[in-house]
Amino acid sequence: MNKKIIRPFILVFTLFITQILFSQGYKLSGKVTDKDGLPIFGATVQIFNPNRGTVSNQNGNYSLQLAKGAHRLKVSYVGFQDIEIELKLTTDKIMDFTLIFKTESLDEVLITDNIEGINIRDPEMSVSKLDASSIKKIPVVFGEVDVIQSLLLLPGVSNAGEGASGFNVRGGSTDQNLILIDDALIYNSSHLFGFFSIFNPDAIKNLKLYKGGIPSNYGGRVSSVLDIQQKTGNSQSLKGEGGIGVISSKLTLEGPIQKDKSSFLISGRGTYAHLFLKLADNQNSAYFYDLNTKLNFNIDDKNSLSFSGYYGSDYVNINDSFTNIYGNAFGILDWRHEFNDDINSKLNFSFSRYNYELDLSIVGFNFQNSISNFDLSYKINHEINSELSLTYGLSSIQYNVDPGKIVPTSVDSGINSRDLDNKYAFDNAAFISVNQSLTDNINVQYGLRVSAFLRMEDETIDIYANDNPLLYDETRDIYLEAQPIDTREGNTSSISESFINFEPRLGISYALDDYTSIKASYNRMVQNLHLLSNTSSPTPFDVWTPSGAYIKPQKLDQYALGFFKDFENLPFTFETELFYKSIANRIDYIDGANLIANDAIERSILNGESRAYGLEFYLKKNTGRLTGWLSYTLSRSEQRTPGRTANEIGVNNGDWYLNGFDKTHDISLTSSYELNPKWQLNANFVLQTGRPVNFPVGQFEFQDLNIPVFEGRNLNRLPSFHRLDISATYTPERQNKNWSRSWNFGLYNVYNRRNAASLNFEQNPTSGQNEAVRFSIFGIVPSVSYNFKF
Amino acid sequence: MKNILTFLCLALLLISCEDVVEINLAEAQPRLVVDAALQWKKGTTGEEQTIKLSQTRGFFEQEPVTISNANITVTNTNGTTFDFEEQNPGEYITQNFIPEINMDYTLSIEVDNQLYTAKETLKPVVSIDSIQQNNEGGFSGQDIELKAYYTDTADVENYYLFKFFVPFATFPEFAIYDDEFNDGNSIFGLYSNEDLEPGMDIIIENHGVSQAYYNFLNILLAQAGSAGGPFETEPATVRGNIGNSADENELIFGYFSLSEVDEVLYTIEE
Repeated sequence: MNKKIIRPFILVFTLFITQILFSQGYKLSGKVTDKDGLPIFGATVQIFNPNRGTVSNQNGNYSLQLAKGAHRLKVSYVGFQDIEIELKLTTDKIMDFTLIFKTESLDEVLITDNIEGINIRDPEMSVSKLDASSIKKIPVVFGEVDVIQSLLLLPGVSNAGEGASGFNVRGGSTDQNLILIDDALIYNSSHLFGFFSIFNPDAIKNLKLYKGGIPSNYGGRVSSVLDIQQKTGNSQSLKGEGGIGVISSKLTLEGPIQKDKSSFLISGRGTYAHLFLKLADNQNSAYFYDLNTKLNFNIDDKNSLSFSGYYGSDYVNINDSFTNIYGNAFGILDWRHEFNDDINSKLNFSFSRYNYELDLSIVGFNFQNSISNFDLSYKINHEINSELSLTYGLSSIQYNVDPGKIVPTSVDSGINSRDLDNKYAFDNAAFISVNQSLTDNINVQYGLRVSAFLRMEDETIDIYANDNPLLYDETRDIYLEAQPIDTREGNTSSISESFINFEPRLGISYALDDYTSIKASYNRMVQNLHLLSNTSSPTPFDVWTPSGAYIKPQKLDQYALGFFKDFENLPFTFETELFYKSIANRIDYIDGANLIANDAIERSILNGESRAYGLEFYLKKNTGRLTGWLSYTLSRSEQRTPGRTANEIGVNNGDWYLNGFDKTHDISLTSSYELNPKWQLNANFVLQTGRPVNFPVGQFEFQDLNIPVFEGRNLNRLPSFHRLDISATYTPERQNKNWSRSWNFGLYNVYNRRNAASLNFEQNPTSGQNEAVRFSIFGIVPSVSYNFKF
Repeated sequence: MKNILTFLCLALLLISCEDVVEINLAEAQPRLVVDAALQWKKGTTGEEQTIKLSQTRGFFEQEPVTISNANITVTNTNGTTFDFEEQNPGEYITQNFIPEINMDYTLSIEVDNQLYTAKETLKPVVSIDSIQQNNEGGFSGQDIELKAYYTDTADVENYYLFKFFVPFATFPEFAIYDDEFNDGNSIFGLYSNEDLEPGMDIIIENHGVSQAYYNFLNILLAQAGSAGGPFETEPATVRGNIGNSADENELIFGYFSLSEVDEVLYTIEE
């Protein structure tokens, strides 16, 4: 570590030592569970005056060190009714709480109040939390409730347009998001080119999106962490829920395997729109399905074992001539052990895989590619006292990237078989994170992650003249792939390159009073697995590549400063954050690079840097009949890829150019109104700057073709994108206590705006003249769905 | 495999809509364009060759801007020079060209007191063996599809440019292929269109091209029509092989290439 990082740490460690000597008062502890006896992880237990609190751990246990005397205590958790009590503390006390799920307690459907409220004193910032019930309120296309569509309405989160897969956080590209479901890795978060996400909202308990201020237990991707927790099955009785919609249906079943001891949850979702095509004698089909499962075993008071699994697949078939199958799958086993009230641990082992297959029978060609990993991680949560807690652990991930296998599929195919070498790597890390209350008003979170990425040798290693895989032709100002002068056999058990990095993390919050605070954070993140794409939004063909001899790890520094206000007398909360990110070693393709089945990416890439900065505003109304939020992000995301020497042109002449997903203004307004106990109305409005594209600045004729002339990169923009969606949920009066149902009616893109997904400048074949053709995806789309719960 | 991106875009077409819109475009400074793709059709002498000189113009401007009064010659390594005379505005023609397989030629253009030169090799091409017609082909399975089969030369790096001339389009459809995945095999150039109908006369050409010309066409064809799409590849400046000896930074569009061409006339059957 260099000096600049060491000094603040010495300061903070000194403060840490002085704090340990000053704990006093009595201990209030206990367990938070729901009506079914299931522990609630993450429930807030707080006192007022001073405003201080803690959060229950995986086993539902909480513990607070309080002064002697009277306190007002509140226990709350997303989707549950708050408990508020007065208590007097004269000795250590144990107090357990049972929280009641909101919608079950009354006949009326109440709006969840203060769900994802701000925690004023927690140094955690740049985080968005959503629970399943908020996600389900947001109207989306085809009436399909969608996790990523909900995330896009939050400040700092956007995507490259309808039909673009993945999402962008604070100007970061889609491969820079660490996506975890129950701690297992997911490589592609979208179905069917981005229209749907792979997350089934009925299987999800809640999610947390870290846009910055990422604690050290997370690593591997530079821009964000999307941490999704699946629901644990009900250990008391069999329950289920489901929905039938125009495009897809879903069903979730959960219940005990052994009452009070173990439970299962299984959830499935699938689309069937393609069946309508078959009825119309159309040979094409496109569908997807997901299967989520979670098994949980409470072995005893201190131990629980759980297994989570997921399998999803997309299938696109156009007339049997083009077949595309791709999907994620994972299985993760974890063992939670509680040493005592203050120390608990989690050990997990997982396997995760993403694969795709492309079959072009028209050419007689089949191409398969996959990436998979094994992951073994161990984490300990250690509460030292009410002012200090630690989290530390180790993790090791083994990656196996299979860049592709090409086989001919028919006798007259003309394709030669090719099997590209697998690439292997290990990503190992050790981390420690400290959460500390320095004073009543100052709280810090700081930590360090040390990562060691080991890239193993390939089976066949190309040797280039002068170790240079990318040549430059000075006379013609273009880059050319170098051909290897020799190859040698590699040993896949030998380390080819190792990258050791220190990633310090720091977050501070300063509470001006119980309702207002200022927070700041810094984090350094390192990424060793890169998704190479030379299109503005990823396609399923894009390839994951590990760092190696010619590809260095991406290193990010992010600084954020925020102001948080919880209005005491108004049901609003307000957050604003300023952020700046800079990333070293961001690679980009040279012009005209070939992607498909390219074994030697190093012959087509240049090293560069990228940066993003912006200001986010977030105003939220949490309680009352009308709830919702308004978010506005003003930002810029750009990159620069200079040539390697003064003579090379690089990309865009070495000047900064906008990233393809940059959006200057991004405004989202979402709202939900309880008209009466039966009807709930929802509306969304989004307004965004069009994404950067390239307009031609001229044309010329060559061999009878009109060729457009372009200059620079991403200097123009598509027209602004805006859209209004509305929906209404009708819940008839409950006749049967064990069966509830509701109908949802939706209208996507109410005023039928033809938002341009792209603008093609082309030559009309009939007239021979040039024209600009706008391609837009969704017009007005109505939808109906029926949802039930038992 | 540019076809793959086309398929992806077509997949999206299942639910989307296209319409022509008006856009205001900026205009860059005009540049020289040299259309000098010389072709030697098999079975002919190849003595008549045309080179066109023009200038870039605004994207929506319909009238081409030709360049006259240039001095154009092509020389081979034996020292033989072929003079091109301007016969129509911007069109320079020679009647005594001598095409030779694998011969190196140098182009020289004198215009506006500037000298532009380029070098290329005349690449051979194998013949088209047969044309297969499939009436249930194309992307939707309902279009007429044509496959022009040829046998790639093994152990040599080959690059091909196919042109399909159809009566309902004012310009031909281009398709380029390399032999990376099918060296030495029998492979085909593919064309399909919903407007193909029995009785139509189609001209199919296979041009042998150099690797440099193939790379140039790769970028050129990607510019023509994919810009702004969700799967667009980044636009590139399409630098050809023609340079100004006095100013090496001057950007000249177009290319000087020489190809042997196999041409087949085919009438769509029932």
